[in-house]
Amino acid sequence: MFHRESGVFKTSYVADMAVYPLPIAKWTVAALAALFAVIVPLAMNEYYLSLLNLILIAVVGALGLNILVGYTGQISIGHGALMSVGAYTAANLVTRLDAPFWLALPAGGTMAATIGAVIGIPSLRIKGLYLAIATLAGQLIIEWTINHVSWISGGVQASIEVPRPTLFGAQLRTQAQFYVFLLFFAAVAIVATINLARSRIGRAFVAVRDQDIAAEIIGIDIFRYKLLAFAISSFYAGVTGVLYTYYLGIANYEQFQINVSIDYLAMIIIGGLGSVLGSIFGAIFVTLLPIVTRWMLEGLGGLILSPADLANIIPNLRLVIFGALIIIFLALEPEGLSRLWRNIVAYFRVWPFSY
Amino acid sequence: MPELDWQFTLVLIANGVMIGLMYTLIALGFVLVYKATDAINFAQGEFVMFAAFIAAAAAYFGDLPFWICGLFALAGMTALGFGLERVVLRPLIGRPVVAVIMATIGVAVLLRGFATLAFGAGTRAIVMPIGDEPLFLGPIMLQPVQLVGAGVSLVFLAIFTWFFLCSRVGIAMRAVADSQQVAMAMGIDVRRYFALAWAMAGIVSALAGIVWGAMLGVDNQLALVGLKVFPVVILGGLDSVIGAVVGGLIVGVVESLAAGYLDPYVGGGTKDFAPYVLMILVLMIRPYGIFGRALIERI
Amino acid sequence: MKRIARGTLALAAASASLVCMIDRPAAQQKELVIGEQCDRTGATQLVGVILCPGIMDYIDLINSKGGVEGYRIRLDEIDHEYKVPPAIEAYERYKAQGAVSIMLYGTPQTQALTQKLNEDKIPGTSPGFGTSAAANGTRYPYVFPIAASYWSQGAAAIKFIKDKLGGNLEGKKIAYLYYDNPAGHEPMVILEDLRKTEKFELKNFAVPPPGVEMGAQVLDITQRFRPDFVISHLFGRSPSVAIKELKRAGYPLSKVVGLVWASAEADVQAAGGWSVAEGYHTIQFAGVGDDYPARHEIAAMYKAQGKEPPKEMQNTVYYNRGLLAAALHVEAVRNAIKARGGEKPSGEDVKKGFEAIHGLTLGGLVPPMELSASDHEGGGWVQIFQAKGGKFVKETDWFRAYPEVLAKQLKAE
Repeated sequence: MFHRESGVFKTSYVADMAVYPLPIAKWTVAALAALFAVIVPLAMNEYYLSLLNLILIAVVGALGLNILVGYTGQISIGHGALMSVGAYTAANLVTRLDAPFWLALPAGGTMAATIGAVIGIPSLRIKGLYLAIATLAGQLIIEWTINHVSWISGGVQASIEVPRPTLFGAQLRTQAQFYVFLLFFAAVAIVATINLARSRIGRAFVAVRDQDIAAEIIGIDIFRYKLLAFAISSFYAGVTGVLYTYYLGIANYEQFQINVSIDYLAMIIIGGLGSVLGSIFGAIFVTLLPIVTRWMLEGLGGLILSPADLANIIPNLRLVIFGALIIIFLALEPEGLSRLWRNIVAYFRVWPFSY
Repeated sequence: MPELDWQFTLVLIANGVMIGLMYTLIALGFVLVYKATDAINFAQGEFVMFAAFIAAAAAYFGDLPFWICGLFALAGMTALGFGLERVVLRPLIGRPVVAVIMATIGVAVLLRGFATLAFGAGTRAIVMPIGDEPLFLGPIMLQPVQLVGAGVSLVFLAIFTWFFLCSRVGIAMRAVADSQQVAMAMGIDVRRYFALAWAMAGIVSALAGIVWGAMLGVDNQLALVGLKVFPVVILGGLDSVIGAVVGGLIVGVVESLAAGYLDPYVGGGTKDFAPYVLMILVLMIRPYGIFGRALIERI
Repeated sequence: MKRIARGTLALAAASASLVCMIDRPAAQQKELVIGEQCDRTGATQLVGVILCPGIMDYIDLINSKGGVEGYRIRLDEIDHEYKVPPAIEAYERYKAQGAVSIMLYGTPQTQALTQKLNEDKIPGTSPGFGTSAAANGTRYPYVFPIAASYWSQGAAAIKFIKDKLGGNLEGKKIAYLYYDNPAGHEPMVILEDLRKTEKFELKNFAVPPPGVEMGAQVLDITQRFRPDFVISHLFGRSPSVAIKELKRAGYPLSKVVGLVWASAEADVQAAGGWSVAEGYHTIQFAGVGDDYPARHEIAAMYKAQGKEPPKEMQNTVYYNRGLLAAALHVEAVRNAIKARGGEKPSGEDVKKGFEAIHGLTLGGLVPPMELSASDHEGGGWVQIFQAKGGKFVKETDWFRAYPEVLAKQLKAE
């Protein structure tokens, strides 16, 4: 309906292997990029920009977890702790050594990657839910370490204040400035993940997920690739933690506890395992759902109930709706929102014809 | 080197055994579901909480004696088990395991919100007609609630072991868990057995809820005990009933000893992750838990 | 096709309800917005479901009497489930509505928002939680503890124990049972300082979150350490579990003092009732019980509307803390409006309004605190109530302890 795929001829392998082979796809991506990078920060108000900022940070984290769980098939519940590792590394570097953000960010990510690889060592022997709980152990141990080693945590309060990052001499202050800052990193993460999935490493990951014994037979060192998956995923997690720290101005491990790990797991499962678009959709869904349900409930409920009753009912109703929506989505489409999206796209691809 | 105070150690171990058997009670529900349906129930803690709420509400609103409240809880949880299996799990048969995990997480969230909506936010009490005074066995102090819990766990261990080994229904359930298609070819109605498994898990959760509710008081936070289930079942093996008991004992004792001996030296908190560390070590040697059945993978 | 039709229908319904939800900014005449954060479904819901109605009731009372200097107060409550991202989103929402002050809830949330409050110049209050160092108003200009911080509570506990044990702590044993998170760790530095000067033996017993099971720690305390007194600094469900376990282990609760979040009727009830908790001492930073004019006025307000007073009022400990927080905000706003000569105040004006508060006691509900630009805590006043015969009985009057030790620590921060 919107375009025809016939009449597009490639004359080189490079052109054929491009990420977006069709011209319409290239135009769409360019238009979206322009919209998000230029129009949105200028047009939207602070409150909505702050929501977008939270979503952007979540996207980076969700992408990382999807690399591990979606592409490599290793379930991990330790994502939150790895974020706090990145956060505290960056916070310590900034407060003790005055490191600029372009140093603190990779440092936080690398530290998280190292620790993530250590957590991934059991994956040599353990699989499935057993591995998931082993990563949960990692989460708890990291939390305990940060809580008790004041050299890392900066004292009893276990939180380190971090000044805002400075870009070309100016400190980032407004939501719009943060939006552009975070958008850059989210875009880098998205592009990196897309390319990772198409590369040799990405294919090895998928092989490990699908048939690891067969993969080993044909010569893929599955232990090495599993560790690599943990490391890369933890790098993303560390970067997410650092971004979060910069956004809030404070690093505190209580922001990264097990409920955060489960939230991110929810993001990628609802969004769709093993797809970049799925991570983005899932991040948007899980971040916005509590807020949107609250809006709707307040709007509808304000017509019937008093504020006191409302205040009591809304939070619990929100939980009920959240749980119910997760179940409904999974029953409708167990492969997540990305599959739903692809179904819609496939439908419109040949519309108004049926095939 | 800490001075090994034998009396104190004995007390700690006894305490650990008691609390471990209480953990087993919750773990049994988890193992039942996994053993019969291959589904991982992240909502086990919420099941226990909901059951406790039903019992407490029956006691509060109806002023009914303890046994009737218990029956209410049993009935309610069986219904919940059946309903859940029908509505949530049936559409997800054959789907990847993470989808089922996520669905149970969704159920957990839903139950938590619903419980507060239906029963209010305050903490309720479940009063067991057994008295509060602890029994003394030398220096060891045994609390009656925990004794009841431990007793129930052991009774269930016996029942379930017999059930899965000897009874027709139990063997059929194991067949279904092993291979659904072959079971169906043999004439076993898979859906009926799935429903039965979840209902049985509901029953176990009801009893666990009553005991834990009597020990801790019933409110939203009771669901947090569900997190303790995981090291227990992983250590023992996801699909082994005896593993749940052994795992529970080990986790309980390790927690107790860690709190008593390790905590003072490292500033506290080891009790939380000591069982996990032990669990990882055990898993490196036996990747499916101590009693778990190894998954035979074929290409 | 049917699916897509159903989907669009759902979308239409959603957008229709979205229309109802548009936030009304406080551009209306004579209305001020105060943001309130609460936890009604998370780890501390036992506190939130009683404290927040207290706040709402007080604001309703003030509005029913004509508002503050003619301005109506609009309270915007958001439940953040004790997580940080919803708290941030809530804060941005309050900011978008032009809130002049924020009632914070929860230590991690307070920490996460400290810098933002500073930048946006909106004062936020954290009574009984948050960082103790925030009492230093010069360092944290926009965070107001407005109630005894954890440091003050720790010092007060030691002073109370000292009085109880005959005025001398030398050689005595004190056990510190605490929740293993930063808030639980906070008083330890004060306890250490006092240990050196008062020469008692101190041992710390950590309870890891969620604290629903602490048999081993209690056994350690009661059978091995056998202290003369126990200080309990727990949150959420753990205080009631501690009371139960200590009682079961045979340790007399009259030798236990709980800090402010281990000290409510809810904890006693959750522990199994007043008979279980008989003798338990509690530290309070707001008055306890029904005997205060503000509470009578609220009950009268409900009767005038033909309704029964809400059952949350019976949980006087947390409810009264809500009243205290709301009352201080109202007073600060009142000071700000007066300083502006009746004009609509900004966040900065309300901050100065807070710092000008003195002499507000609400019949004893609020301690005789004095806030200033450098002291955002007000002096660290506490009262001790004891569980006796089915209710909390006042044991001491308002007092504060070891101000020199606290001042030294504040300076060191």
